[in-house]
Amino acid sequence: MLDLDQMKQQWVEHDRKLDETIRLNRQLLSMTNLHGARSTLQQMTAFLALGAIIWFAIVVALGSFIYANIGTFRFALPAALLDVFAIAMLSTNIRLMATARQIDYSQPVTLIQKQLANLRRLRIRITQRALIAGTVVWAPAAIVACRVLLGIETYSVAWLLTNVAFGLSLIPLSLWVSKKFGDRMTQSPFMQQLMNDIAGRNLTKAQNFLSELSEFESEKPI
Amino acid sequence: MTTPALQEKFQTLVDEHKKILYKVCYSYCRNRDDREDLAQEIIVQLWRSFASFDERCRFSTWTYRIALNVAISFYRRENTRTRHVLSDDEKVLNAADETANRSAEVQALYEFIDGLEPLNKALILLYLDGNSYSEIADVVGITETNVATKISRLKQTMREKFRGVARA
Repeated sequence: MLDLDQMKQQWVEHDRKLDETIRLNRQLLSMTNLHGARSTLQQMTAFLALGAIIWFAIVVALGSFIYANIGTFRFALPAALLDVFAIAMLSTNIRLMATARQIDYSQPVTLIQKQLANLRRLRIRITQRALIAGTVVWAPAAIVACRVLLGIETYSVAWLLTNVAFGLSLIPLSLWVSKKFGDRMTQSPFMQQLMNDIAGRNLTKAQNFLSELSEFESEKPI
Repeated sequence: MTTPALQEKFQTLVDEHKKILYKVCYSYCRNRDDREDLAQEIIVQLWRSFASFDERCRFSTWTYRIALNVAISFYRRENTRTRHVLSDDEKVLNAADETANRSAEVQALYEFIDGLEPLNKALILLYLDGNSYSEIADVVGITETNVATKISRLKQTMREKFRGVARA
């Protein structure tokens, strides 16, 4: 019968052999490689920083649009609604960046894994809420875009209602598409992650892992 | 300390502890290219954290914490990553013929570890590497009593698993 303590001796021998067989490619660890490389968390932070810059530019551009159309209620109001959405997106990007930057991988495993799972859960919830809010602000976005790009001065109630209905119809449609095809998007990890975020699969996984961590931390006598 | 001196010190320390990286990578990845990706990701994270390394701590404890944290995160997102094949020159850890020379017991241990949950993999690796319950508790972030309970449970699981294999 194989016993863990008996096998530990074999492991010690294996460990000794590793000294002779493993070679570290020190050339690859040259300064250029190390300085140029980014950890996954740093890549995520850089992506969030780029998002924050874009949302900041949108907030500024919408501010200018509102100022230019301050006397025209039918354009200033949709732009103000969009601006609120853009400010919310900017602040959530900054919040995620701040949370990500606080994670120190040299801390104990359960602590860091809990922080990472909480960060993942926060990111997924923000994605889901952004999708819902995004479909609601579709109509104001179309009004502002038509005004800026096409110079359209008026819009009818029927046009407005059609766009609101179109925006809202995207919620069940995107949910259905994500649930149906999310797992099949193996060629595009980004799309797969986004669709699994929308479908709620990734949120369930993050919550299950948090439960697993809590269970692991709790002491249950044999 | 200047950056080249820091880099030299880092490389020497990583070289001395390369076995930890190898065993962590082997325990968390089945695929050879994934193991190489993980090794590189761990080294990048070690380097990024090296400036804040507290010399009063043991380098091995610090390495275990970072390596296991990166490996668990890597393992959890394995199915949403783009895979790419690396040439030998791009591989940071080379262990020619290591698996061929393994004893049956060590191979069985790796297979047993492969079937465990990511957090239990960390526990058993630390235990097999000769760390005390106090050191394991320090790396994993649970109490010593909890470590003892879980190790005892893992020993029991292992006995049952191999008893079943022997019967089959």
